[in-house]
Amino acid sequence: MEQSLGSFFADNLQEFWNFTGFANATWQHFVMLAVGLFFIWLAIKKNFEPMLLVPIGFGILIGNIPFNTTAGLEIGIYEEGSVLNILYNGVSAGWYPPLIFLGIGAMTDFSALIANPKLMLIGAAAQFGIFGAYMVALAIGFAPDQAGAIAIIGGADGPTAIFISSKLAPNLMGAIAVSAYSYMALVPVIQPPIMRLFTTKKERLIRMKPARAVSQNEKIIFPIVGMLLTCFVVPSGLPLLGMLFFGNLLRESGVTTRLAKTASNALTDIVTILLGMTVGASTQATTFLTKETIFIFFLGFMAFIIASSSGVLFVKLFNLFLPKDKKINPLIGNAGVSAVPMSARISNNLGLEYDPSNYLLMHAMGPNVAGVIGSAVAAGVLLGFLA
Amino acid sequence: MKKFRILSLIAIATASLTMSGQARKGALHINEVMTLNESNFVDDFGQRPAWIELYNSKFAPLEISSVYLTTDTTISPELWYAVPLHDVNTRIPKRQHIVFWADGMPSRGTFHTSFKLDPAAVNEIYLIDSDKKTVIDHVTVPVLEPNTTYARAKDGITVFDADGNVDVNATWEVRNDIDEGKYITPSSNNVILDRNDKVDKFSRLDPNGFAMAVMAMAIVFSALAVLCIAFMIISKVGARSSKTKKMKSHGLNVKETPRDEHPESDSGEAIAAIVMALHEHLNTHDNESTILTINKVKRAYSPWSSKIYSMRHLPGK
Repeated sequence: MEQSLGSFFADNLQEFWNFTGFANATWQHFVMLAVGLFFIWLAIKKNFEPMLLVPIGFGILIGNIPFNTTAGLEIGIYEEGSVLNILYNGVSAGWYPPLIFLGIGAMTDFSALIANPKLMLIGAAAQFGIFGAYMVALAIGFAPDQAGAIAIIGGADGPTAIFISSKLAPNLMGAIAVSAYSYMALVPVIQPPIMRLFTTKKERLIRMKPARAVSQNEKIIFPIVGMLLTCFVVPSGLPLLGMLFFGNLLRESGVTTRLAKTASNALTDIVTILLGMTVGASTQATTFLTKETIFIFFLGFMAFIIASSSGVLFVKLFNLFLPKDKKINPLIGNAGVSAVPMSARISNNLGLEYDPSNYLLMHAMGPNVAGVIGSAVAAGVLLGFLA
Repeated sequence: MKKFRILSLIAIATASLTMSGQARKGALHINEVMTLNESNFVDDFGQRPAWIELYNSKFAPLEISSVYLTTDTTISPELWYAVPLHDVNTRIPKRQHIVFWADGMPSRGTFHTSFKLDPAAVNEIYLIDSDKKTVIDHVTVPVLEPNTTYARAKDGITVFDADGNVDVNATWEVRNDIDEGKYITPSSNNVILDRNDKVDKFSRLDPNGFAMAVMAMAIVFSALAVLCIAFMIISKVGARSSKTKKMKSHGLNVKETPRDEHPESDSGEAIAAIVMALHEHLNTHDNESTILTINKVKRAYSPWSSKIYSMRHLPGK
């Protein structure tokens, strides 16, 4: 029997309705959309890491538009062949983070670290945040590989967290990445109370000797020796460490200025946009809103607290062995986490709060960049042990 | 110059050929062999020929076209079975397998060899590279029961004894598909892994993560401590060399000049004071020319950038 025009209209409109977001929405979608909007608000209104939170926040919105998943529209991030899926390959196959590291290397001045190499040990101490969180994650009931992937949040390094979780626990990657970036944005809120708690007023007033000038030769040797030594110890950290030091050599060699500029500006910007957006879009409500995600956020918080505390406490311990005129201000201990340069800025601000003429920024940059190297080494260790 | 270029090209070509041989040797392995197939794996033609499984142990795809398979190296290489070119299936994905049917019927396709295996005798199987000289792998297959295979205990792994010789008994085993762990696995792993051994070990031996924390922190500290020591040394060497240079430029001798007279012992404040004094004394200022110039900007005309063409033309009233 011929279909009537009315039912033809009704059927098509019904079908269209089934394809709309309204018909496919669940409460979880709205929760995630609210999270995305919150991130965008934090970035724009509160100026918390806007370069990261705007792409991630908008990515969350993109990833949580409800649609008919059975229709084979090839629009979802997890649907093979979709545009988002192709862009997501940089995250899932882990090649965005090394590119970001290339940019970080090209924009980082390691002078403070070269001038005072012992500050590297603070960067190492702060990595206890990773392994402390690993122990807590095991106690909660995560498997060792999942615990390792979650614990890397303590390195305060988004690209490393994404790289490691894509290898050790790909199913938790969305939550881990969002957690890592969220806490990195919240470093100014999380770290100062810890720094105050573990330091005395006298310690906060310690003045450090100005760093010596570093020669161009030393700056050139640093990335070469740094790469060779660290990668010989932990070859599994090669993608991150190799790119970090390569980027730094581009910057310091003096003959590849154009490449260094591209790596630190255009390339980093492009990869940051893609990385942030796809990580945000990977947090689809159906896979993201689980009990594990809550645990991951809790563990990420723990990791940040442990990392910041261990950095500060290590400086206090270190000071016991240093001569009086070479004491280190423990306020730079928090900078051992690799949230560059945010945590170094916090050291500086807190130092100025107690002594308006005590500028700690350059001193804090030492452990801060050592933290980048330390977290990449720690990531290599986790990969070597658990992958 | 021309000669140099030709020589370089030859060197590169030779190097790539050698590299390709080296790439296959050590990466491509004979992994499992069945000489008498009565009720086992069936080929595309519904037959049950003997079969030879190859394994790529690399973490990258491996192209095997133009390698040779044979049971007799004394015959002319023309009679060996050459894996044909231009078949997409001859590219073995990373750590995967491929099966050749030893049925003596190469006309049936790429994976049907020109020779047969003799189930009643010991079979020597050779896998030879395209240069017809490099033996990529070789196995001596004993006489086997029907439907049993001679397989590596672990995929692609050769066990060596203390003298560095291949330990055949530890490397190879007979599989009958009946005994536990002795499964016949054409086109798949001889060792079937359903879990990550490393993760398992950590779960079992380090349930609270203490050992991991201690080991990992020790490694992180060592890596950064090594870097720290290296840079302390580099910094000292650098400082000494720049000091020597500076002293030389001042016409001073490092050993003879007292320490507090060394030029680098001047503090930042002292250097700043000297610079200020020089500035005052010389009364140097940056003198600008204070000439303003206006250059006429000339641009070549192009209709692509012409306003006349890009503006909307309104009809005249």
